Amino acid sequence: MKNNKTARGYLVNTLVIAAAFILFQMLTGIFGGEGDFKLVLVPSLWQCCYLILLAASLNLVLGFLGQLSLGHCGFMAIGAYTAALISLACERAGVFTDKAGLVYILIIFGCIIAAGLLAAVTGLLVGIPALRLKGDYLAIITLGFGMIIVNVINNLPFCGQDGLSQGSAAASLYKTGLGFGSKAKVTYLWIALVVTIVCLTLMFMFVRSKYGRAIRAIKDDEIAASASGINVSSYKVLTFTYSAFFAGVAGALYACANSSLSTSSFAFTNAGILNSTFVVVMVVLGGMGSLTGSIVAAVIMFFVNYQIANGSWVAALPPLINGIFKYPMLVYAVVLVIVIIFRPRGIFGTYEFSLVRLPEDIKKARARRAAAKAERKEAASHG
Amino acid sequence: MKKLFCLLLALCMVLSLAACGGSGSSGSSAPAAADGEEAPAASGDTLKIGVISPNTGNLAAYGTGIHTGAELAVEEINAAGGILGQQVELVELDDRADPTECLNAFNNLVSQGIGLIIGSATSGATSAITGPANEEEVVIIAPTATADSITTEDDYIFRVCYADSAQGAIAAAYAKTAGYDKVGIVYCTGDVYSSGLKDSFSAACAEQGIEVVATESSAALTTTEYTNQFTAMVNAGVDFVYAPYYYDVIGPYVIPQARAAGYDGVIMGADGYDTTPDYVREADAPVFNNIYWTNHYFAGDTSEKVTSFVKAYKDKFGSEPSAFGATGYDSVYVYKAAIEAAGSTEPSAVRDALADTSTVYECVSGTFSFDVSGTPVKGAPVITFKDNGDGTIGMELVDVVEATDLA
Repeated sequence: MKNNKTARGYLVNTLVIAAAFILFQMLTGIFGGEGDFKLVLVPSLWQCCYLILLAASLNLVLGFLGQLSLGHCGFMAIGAYTAALISLACERAGVFTDKAGLVYILIIFGCIIAAGLLAAVTGLLVGIPALRLKGDYLAIITLGFGMIIVNVINNLPFCGQDGLSQGSAAASLYKTGLGFGSKAKVTYLWIALVVTIVCLTLMFMFVRSKYGRAIRAIKDDEIAASASGINVSSYKVLTFTYSAFFAGVAGALYACANSSLSTSSFAFTNAGILNSTFVVVMVVLGGMGSLTGSIVAAVIMFFVNYQIANGSWVAALPPLINGIFKYPMLVYAVVLVIVIIFRPRGIFGTYEFSLVRLPEDIKKARARRAAAKAERKEAASHG
Repeated sequence: MKKLFCLLLALCMVLSLAACGGSGSSGSSAPAAADGEEAPAASGDTLKIGVISPNTGNLAAYGTGIHTGAELAVEEINAAGGILGQQVELVELDDRADPTECLNAFNNLVSQGIGLIIGSATSGATSAITGPANEEEVVIIAPTATADSITTEDDYIFRVCYADSAQGAIAAAYAKTAGYDKVGIVYCTGDVYSSGLKDSFSAACAEQGIEVVATESSAALTTTEYTNQFTAMVNAGVDFVYAPYYYDVIGPYVIPQARAAGYDGVIMGADGYDTTPDYVREADAPVFNNIYWTNHYFAGDTSEKVTSFVKAYKDKFGSEPSAFGATGYDSVYVYKAAIEAAGSTEPSAVRDALADTSTVYECVSGTFSFDVSGTPVKGAPVITFKDNGDGTIGMELVDVVEATDLA
């Protein structure tokens, strides 16, 4: 019975995703990939894709395993630079010349996988010693890791300026073999979408597997989990590595979306939303322990950030309110405060959105609300 | 109820913070808001120029300089009748010195139909929009992106500052005109700025016929010991040492130790020396003589162009313009000259006008023409420190190296 239900779930999701994908391709055809579609919507989707992957992968560690990691952008930086440098090497070696064709697409996927793998290996190396620590100490060591990565990349001669043998140690890599222009972003949008969907599927499968159940047990009570025969440290390292892999993939997508890389984008001091603390904020906002929550939160944060910087309505607000938008950090703070006041466990809590279960979830939520109301009424009448 | 109270409290705090911050920078924020407000309703009669700069974040000082400089230039141009009879309007966006944000801002400007853009402050952010600008055929003038490769690849990218490698050449030209034919170099091997300047300085020396007789180095920018390096300079018998470092080691360590080691000759540096006086210990002030450095522009320059700019900027914004203000101001005037030469505001026509390497632009940050790649060929003011006698250090213009002095 249960297997039947799972299979139905997969089928429904696949069909809906396929339908959405076809619809989107048709829309692309209608708009002809020009104007605002090309300049605003598609770049936004690219950014949403890597932010979603980043937030969802951190949720594995933060929400499901219950360990605070503040260096997630470090893995993303590794992924971004790996993808950029491998593709650049291919371009310099003449494997592809005009950024099109089957070979190029194969190289893109190769870069994405290599980026994930290198980030995962780093995650493993960092995780083995770091995950013996708990709580604040783990947060501090991962924070340090994020800073170390940025400094290491700054000082690697092949990671700066023109890259590889022509490069020198610098904060920016001006040449990447990927770096899609506006038109290429429309053409290859499917790569970002496919990669994001595949990665999310892998993450969902992970949290529902026996590994997922084990790490949730660790989060609830480490001693009880280890008494039940769960090898706590190996599961922790496994989750950390798995999460780092997807952060690396997110980095590769980032490298595709930007024609140059700058280590300041991955540093703690980055004023945009792409820094490790903001990824933590996304996870908390969406709900620790809900992958769908992370997806929603990543899109919301992206949207808020984009509108603050580029929304024409912001400038039309009265000066007093407009003043807040001069300090984007204040706006994020207000969003976070509002969410935490009304949804202390994040927008989704630990609830996972599911198309198959949606009707019964709505029914349940209604019943719960009615029960709560009845209870309040009763309490009022007694009091 | 309690929740609403919490929310109200949070909003009160945010609004009060915003109000405090707003009153502090009202001079610059008010025109920006007005520009944005008019943006959707503006008719075809105004010429819109986009400005992308880091107005918030940790490099906000750069962005403030650029957009205030540009606003000043636009105000002057509009008062004088605009460009080709059209009033100019700036559309200002914030990139927080981040490549992704810069690209978002760029796409936003292009989707509004703006084809002439000034931006951005840092090379890292600017390099994110050079490729797309070429693809969309949108002209970009970068005020302060100095990385060598910014303009080399793409046809539509220009800048009004010199490239990193040019400063070494300017220093060599100054050494030549000042009559030094034997020089020494002290630099930092672990920093791209320092070693890049050393490379370009020694290459330019070879071209100018200056002999580099001694080269010494330090390992990292955090090094605080330079006595040995300058003892070696004394032993080599040089009177001119090129030492490209930043203000935070120049002030407290390099200069006092060089003088203590018995080196009395010239020490020359680049724009990293800016703000050095803030880092000098009072007792060290008397040894700050014979120190020269190049910068993008010098606010104390007595030429008519600079004094009128500095005065207008001070009147409008109440502070002395930084180099970023000067380059932001220049960017607008370069656009004005190019649009008038092209007789059109079409990006491709403006681009063709800018690509004419024979046009000479007379700007606050120097008189120059563009080279083939779109980087100006220009000299730089040479500035010296002088002891004010009361433990503080002042600055004085020594010389202006002209583009024609370069090898």
